Amino acid sequence: MRLLATACRPQYDPGMSDRKTRITVTVDPAMAAYAERLVKAGRADSVSAVVNEALGAARRRDHRARELFAEAAERADRAKVARMLAHVEAQAARLPASHR
Amino acid sequence: MSEETGAVPPPYVLDVSVLTELVRGGYGVMALVQQLGASGRPLVLPVLAMTAASLDLRSEDASAILYGLEKLANATAAPVKDAEQAVELAAVIAKTGLDPYDAHVAAIADASVCPILTLDAAKWRPHLHDLDEALHIVEIEDPGEGTP
Repeated sequence: MRLLATACRPQYDPGMSDRKTRITVTVDPAMAAYAERLVKAGRADSVSAVVNEALGAARRRDHRARELFAEAAERADRAKVARMLAHVEAQAARLPASHR
Repeated sequence: MSEETGAVPPPYVLDVSVLTELVRGGYGVMALVQQLGASGRPLVLPVLAMTAASLDLRSEDASAILYGLEKLANATAAPVKDAEQAVELAAVIAKTGLDPYDAHVAAIADASVCPILTLDAAKWRPHLHDLDEALHIVEIEDPGEGTP
């Protein structure tokens, strides 16, 4: 359903363009049926448009994840993280041989 | 990979407390987990524990953190992949009384002989000897300034 919502929302994405590259993909039958249903219902221009939008959504999600982890690395109290890391590794060193 | 021996250390199995703190965007734990992965320490993400973390905070950023976590260096999501693992998980739930989310953590730690990485050692202490082999935990804690 999330795909439906974003597929219908006009938005600018520099990664999307009128120029397309032809590729061959293999998808689960249920995903193919879903894409076909979107097209038949008039909620997407084509199966290709559905796949393009889904890839765009995945890319935006991955980009946001990288931003969040980079922000954490930047803003974390480095001295505190170093202390926690040392404490973790000290405990690991005391584990039984089977666990270290 | 260990710089001294070249051996890959055993994975840490992240429990619900750690995954929940990650989903909440706790900078310290996010930075720590990234450093562990980057240092070559494998990180196992039990999918039921990820589910619990996702239930704790429902937002796009929270979901993005879980997706991103799976893509960190040396991190692997661990599913309940077949009937055998489903039955083993049920056995761990029955033996420990843990909820299914942390029972999945315990089941993976037990099967793979790996320590559990947690923010809540007290939660685990009553369960360390519930299974045939003892569980082992490593607690994320700030021992405070002035501690080597």
